[in-house]
Amino acid sequence: MFTSPRIQLLASAGAILALTLAAVLLASWFGPATERVLTVFLISLTAVVGIGLYSGNSGILSFGHVAFMGIGAYAASLLTLPSALKVATLPKLPEWLAMTELSLIPATLIAVVFTAVVALFIGAAIGKLEGSAATIATLGLLIIVHGVIIGWRDVTRGAQSFFGVPRETDLVTAAVACVLALLVARYYRDSVSGLRLRAGRENAIAAGAVGVRIQRERLVAFVLSAAIMALAGSMIAHFLGAFSPKKFYFNDTFLLLAMLIVGGMTTVTGAITGAVVITLVTEVLRRLESGFTLGGFDVPPIFGTAQIGIGLIILLAMFRKVDGLAGMKEWEERLLPVADLPDKAPVVPQAPATDTLTGEAMTMAFGGLTAVDGVSIRIEPGEIMGLIGPNGSGKTTLLNMLSGVLTPTAGRVMRGDEDLTGLATYQIADRGIARTFQNIRLFPNLTVMQNVLVAALSTHGGRDAPARAHAAMERLGVTGHAAADAGTLSYGDQRRVEIARALACQPQFLFLDEPAAGMNREETDALMVILRRLSSELGIAVLLVDHDLELINQLSDRIAVLNEGRMIAQGTPLEIRKDPAVIAAYLGTGRKTDTKQEGEMT
Amino acid sequence: MDLFVQQTVNALALGGTYALLALGLAVVFSIMGLINFAHGELMTISGYTLMYCGIAGVPFVISVPLAILAAMVAAVAMERIAFRPVRGGSGATMLITSFAVAMILQVLFQNLISARSQAVMLPPLLSESLRIGNVIIGVNKIAAIVATVLMLVFLDRFMNRQKTGIAMRAAAEDFAIARLMGIRANTVIAGAFAISGLLAGVAAVLWVSQRASVDPLMGFTPVLKAFIAAILGGLGSLRGAVAGGFLLGFIEVYLAAFLPQELQEFRDPIGLGIVVLILLFRPNGMIPSRVLGSVKV
Repeated sequence: MFTSPRIQLLASAGAILALTLAAVLLASWFGPATERVLTVFLISLTAVVGIGLYSGNSGILSFGHVAFMGIGAYAASLLTLPSALKVATLPKLPEWLAMTELSLIPATLIAVVFTAVVALFIGAAIGKLEGSAATIATLGLLIIVHGVIIGWRDVTRGAQSFFGVPRETDLVTAAVACVLALLVARYYRDSVSGLRLRAGRENAIAAGAVGVRIQRERLVAFVLSAAIMALAGSMIAHFLGAFSPKKFYFNDTFLLLAMLIVGGMTTVTGAITGAVVITLVTEVLRRLESGFTLGGFDVPPIFGTAQIGIGLIILLAMFRKVDGLAGMKEWEERLLPVADLPDKAPVVPQAPATDTLTGEAMTMAFGGLTAVDGVSIRIEPGEIMGLIGPNGSGKTTLLNMLSGVLTPTAGRVMRGDEDLTGLATYQIADRGIARTFQNIRLFPNLTVMQNVLVAALSTHGGRDAPARAHAAMERLGVTGHAAADAGTLSYGDQRRVEIARALACQPQFLFLDEPAAGMNREETDALMVILRRLSSELGIAVLLVDHDLELINQLSDRIAVLNEGRMIAQGTPLEIRKDPAVIAAYLGTGRKTDTKQEGEMT
Repeated sequence: MDLFVQQTVNALALGGTYALLALGLAVVFSIMGLINFAHGELMTISGYTLMYCGIAGVPFVISVPLAILAAMVAAVAMERIAFRPVRGGSGATMLITSFAVAMILQVLFQNLISARSQAVMLPPLLSESLRIGNVIIGVNKIAAIVATVLMLVFLDRFMNRQKTGIAMRAAAEDFAIARLMGIRANTVIAGAFAISGLLAGVAAVLWVSQRASVDPLMGFTPVLKAFIAAILGGLGSLRGAVAGGFLLGFIEVYLAAFLPQELQEFRDPIGLGIVVLILLFRPNGMIPSRVLGSVKV
């Protein structure tokens, strides 16, 4: 199941095959020297998309992936190395390994599987780390694996050259491996897992709130990308015939990362662009490096010209195009911006809740500050409940506790008889509770369709996801924007997309944190109609936080009022309007004759 | 027991150097979110200044401040030329920019100075050692520990008493609000780089005084360790950086001293393995930064 229009995926696959084929034919016409350059390029590209599969989709830059290339190279070479040579150079190798002598393809397959298993353990271990800490942990991974390879002399010959590997990688083999890697990377990006991971990259908190289990998707991508790195490792090992641990350390890491980042980390288009640009520049500069004659004038050889060149290209790319030369979109997404929608928006039956959602004596303390203090709240199936209170009264904190973003310091969240306290946001989302955020949290670089679709895919086991997504967009009137990037929409449209995304989770309880903020009167009125129909037609209970008291008064069946972290009143809009504690909290306890202010409440 | 005391002194000296480097990284990271790969090249610049001063016959007491000053100037220049254009970019963007700067500088050192390791003339006093009971302690080790303590005290006072230091802490908490309060972004960031240059310079002098040589890649390994120390302590947290630096120093020195001979080859992987193990239990480091991770929803 893929989450982007089929025409884009077909166009991409066609282009990958055609370009590779053209390059191979062209190189074999030019001769062996060009063939060698192209082979190395294709292997590098394989590794670049391998890193990109993880780093691009997860947003976590990895320095450690070359270690997997090394593991793959050593593992595959140990299997293909002639037995006689193994006995002579690695006498302490276990008998079964010393006697094994496989050809390239089975050896590569075994090495890929082995590396993937290693990556599974490592990925599970470092998956807890976020952002820059995760990046530095991958740097640690690189150093650890390098250290182990050097130390494990009996198997790897230590820091010495590992030689005698049969040179079985030719241009065609490298091309096949590269096409395979490109296709896996391209299709993963738009697979369900890839879309979820990208959503997590764009906004981790919102992704959790729509049911995405980010750490699991990260692990999937980590293992898959490590497998591609092992493939590249086996290819380069059987191309070079001899290598040492240094081959899989910082120099190549930097070169591959430079390719990835100059081109653009998040796309396969970017990986290819970056690899082409850096390879061309390196090839040209390497010729200059050994010195040359310019108009009868001898230019002396300058060591490291290629490195300086790469460095300057990176700086230029970062100064001019922060997201890399290719940006955030694949070429086919730019040229064929369509959204795959079912012909007719289906009406998805909703299952109204039969139980209530209750927060019992919830308290949230941040250090010394108690933001919410012993608040109990009860939301009945299908009702619209307004939650109001002055700024800083704890409304959003209450919402965060009910939706699992925060775990209450004391108290419980119950749905019917089930205790939801302490569950992760993605588990809450799967139990029929969806929400929007006060400061809009969309996935700005995903299309509107993808924003909504990822929510539908990640809740209720992803059943009827495209239909649910379409129905939700239709209901909020944002179907016309389906193919547009969410980040490019107007403020009001972004609010509507966020509600559609929450609705796609097919919730029985929906929390809206200031949905009308930044909307004008007409937009607010239109929103009011939509919200009322959510309750009357679909039986969804809505908990509504807003400062627009007109909106709250007209929509709510009941209103709860918070002040300074405590619940000061609960009741029908009429009761609340007359409640002296509410009036005091909102308007202060002025002279009683001051009736003009009281009028503003209504 | 004597061996233990001896190794503890070594660990303090090495850990102190890591702490200073990690602190330099943390000061910059906490304010602008940049992990500066080129921090090591500041060390190298400092080292080469010491070398040239030695060749020119400048007295050591003068060449040390000159070397530190060189690192500070280089740090501020680096920010102005390379990092200002990418300010506000993503962490990956800034990190890669700094890596490009590091790569260019390394090649320049190799071409303009020498690809090989160069000797640095040090005063003979540094290579002498003191005997306290049965324990022999090198003067350079004592100097390293004293210098580290002095720098930490200085930095603590600077960050808590000086206007620029307080402004930096405010900027680290919330850069946007700090700017609205009238704190000048350029001044604070330049200040942060100057401080990180100062720390890198001191660390370089300590590093060189243990080894008496400089090469183009001199800063690479210690700064790599400092990255790990900064993560171990809690990225963006100044106290964490110091704690992480010392802890890493202890792990390395004790492993080198007490690990059985047959496992010595795996020293680095084992050391890093311990670090990863600690991080598994404390993913945000030993002393997490209060700001990072507290995203307002």
